Amino acid sequence: MQKRFPLNKIVGYLFVIASALIMLVPFLTTVFNSLKTYKQYMQFPPEWLPNPAQWSNYTTVWEQANFSSYTINSLIVAILSVIGALLSSSMIAFAFARLRFPFRDTLFMIVLGTMMIPGIVTIVPQFIIFKNLGLLDTLAPLWILEWLGQPFAIFLMRQAFLNIPKDYEEAAKLDGCNPFQIYWRVFLPMCKPSLATLAVFTFMGKWNEILAPVIYLISDENFTLPIGILSLSGQYKTEDQLLVAGALISLIPILIVFLFAEKYFVEGSKTSGLK
Amino acid sequence: MLELQTEQQAKPAVKKRKWLDSEGRWGLLLVSPYLIHFLVFVVGTSVASLYFSFSDYDILNPPKWTGLDNYEKLFEDPLFYRSLWNTAYFTILYVPAKTFLALLLAVALNQKLKGLKFFRMVHFLPVISSWTVIAYVADAVFNQRIGFANAFLSKLGIAPQNWLIDEFWVIPVLVLIAIWKSVGYMMIIFLAGLQGISSDMYEAASIDGANAWQKFWRVTVPMISGTTFLVIILNTIYSFQNFEQIFVMTGGSTEAGSTGGANNASLVLMLFMFRQAFSFFKMGYASAIAWVLFLILLAITLIQFKLQKKWVHYD
Repeated sequence: MQKRFPLNKIVGYLFVIASALIMLVPFLTTVFNSLKTYKQYMQFPPEWLPNPAQWSNYTTVWEQANFSSYTINSLIVAILSVIGALLSSSMIAFAFARLRFPFRDTLFMIVLGTMMIPGIVTIVPQFIIFKNLGLLDTLAPLWILEWLGQPFAIFLMRQAFLNIPKDYEEAAKLDGCNPFQIYWRVFLPMCKPSLATLAVFTFMGKWNEILAPVIYLISDENFTLPIGILSLSGQYKTEDQLLVAGALISLIPILIVFLFAEKYFVEGSKTSGLK
Repeated sequence: MLELQTEQQAKPAVKKRKWLDSEGRWGLLLVSPYLIHFLVFVVGTSVASLYFSFSDYDILNPPKWTGLDNYEKLFEDPLFYRSLWNTAYFTILYVPAKTFLALLLAVALNQKLKGLKFFRMVHFLPVISSWTVIAYVADAVFNQRIGFANAFLSKLGIAPQNWLIDEFWVIPVLVLIAIWKSVGYMMIIFLAGLQGISSDMYEAASIDGANAWQKFWRVTVPMISGTTFLVIILNTIYSFQNFEQIFVMTGGSTEAGSTGGANNASLVLMLFMFRQAFSFFKMGYASAIAWVLFLILLAITLIQFKLQKKWVHYD
């Protein structure tokens, strides 16, 4: 019985290490590919290491394409989405968690219900709404809905507000705070971890989004990073190793966010499993 | 805000009553953004979509009611059956394999292995990457000209394959890449579930003389069946709505008409719908596809909920 324990661990380690290698090696290969000359990139059988490393690939692709404008657009969409999600979803969630108002429970059931409804049936009419509002080929359709509250975000924040003891609310009421002031001054500052989780999730989702930008954006100067890079491979005959470098540039901001906020990402992943 | 405050202070006698009323008003005011969201972007769009699905609509001219025309056309369209099969094939390969692998990884990591944080991070790397990035990572392995997979095959004396262009390989390879991208995410969900199993269960099994394999099948698997069920539901829904991966990897350009793989071998339902809507501007036809896709997904989800009684344990 005693002997079995370490064997389990050895098998566990072998399995996890093998899996980690399967995750890492393709990424490393891609990084090396981004540092090759075109000739070395196209050679078969491939050589793993770049020789010598062409660091200039990164500056070349940045200068050659509209990269700075793609990056700025992606940042605008991601940041406006995060602000919108944090403000509106927390406000809505506060009302659901802490205030009594007509049809509250029915409305909350609806929020949960819409979480189950897939977005597919609404794509076409949504496109037509934004087209009629004159928002086609602008960034607005990519972030505006976050300002009207998203079911998952509302659910996440409501859980956080429910966990705060009632005493805080009553003390604030005695001090003459109205519900908005209680939300803004007392409850919101107490929910920083949940807000951070929501911010990380929204940022990642928006930074990587492809479907909406493909539908709504038409001109190159409005493209976000993922579809900017996609369009490069279609439009210009850029050398492929440069496109690899471009794709990896787009990974850097999200990697930074992830390294700083890994804790919140794990929390959010667990929560998304609990719905 | 300020006015309300002074009003309350001025009439302390009716304060309680006033507070109740104003609480209701505040509540409705604070949830009003979601009310707009729900009425316009959920109810409004669903009704519109249903109406379009019974109409001929090209965006430029107002929709013209044509009854069941779109649905009749759909059920005669060979591309619909092709994309339906491709979607089903993707799901059949994707959901069980990914669920099982994610569970195994979570069980391995749950043994309090050293370096948990590092392993978790490595498995998250593909999760946080966009499909555009993943496309180039997959290219490093599966590109028919320069990828490592073919270099490896040629060493074994096997002819190079076309992977993502080949009719036979495209779906299995897409599934492999999709599992690789997101298995880390499901692993975290399983890990959270595993941490909820009390160690007493394992100790009791040990006393009964169970080995590691028996403990996995007799304790872990039943105890975690609730989480497994959820993971299966989430992945089935994801699989049926998979658009971004197929769009980016089998076509690789923003020209919508060019995607779908060789001989439409990777044309899935979402891509089929997207093409009808945004390449050919057949909004009515696309809406009909969306509703059929939705109903299929709904039926599968309901069946899964019915079946869960047979294998999911709650206590």
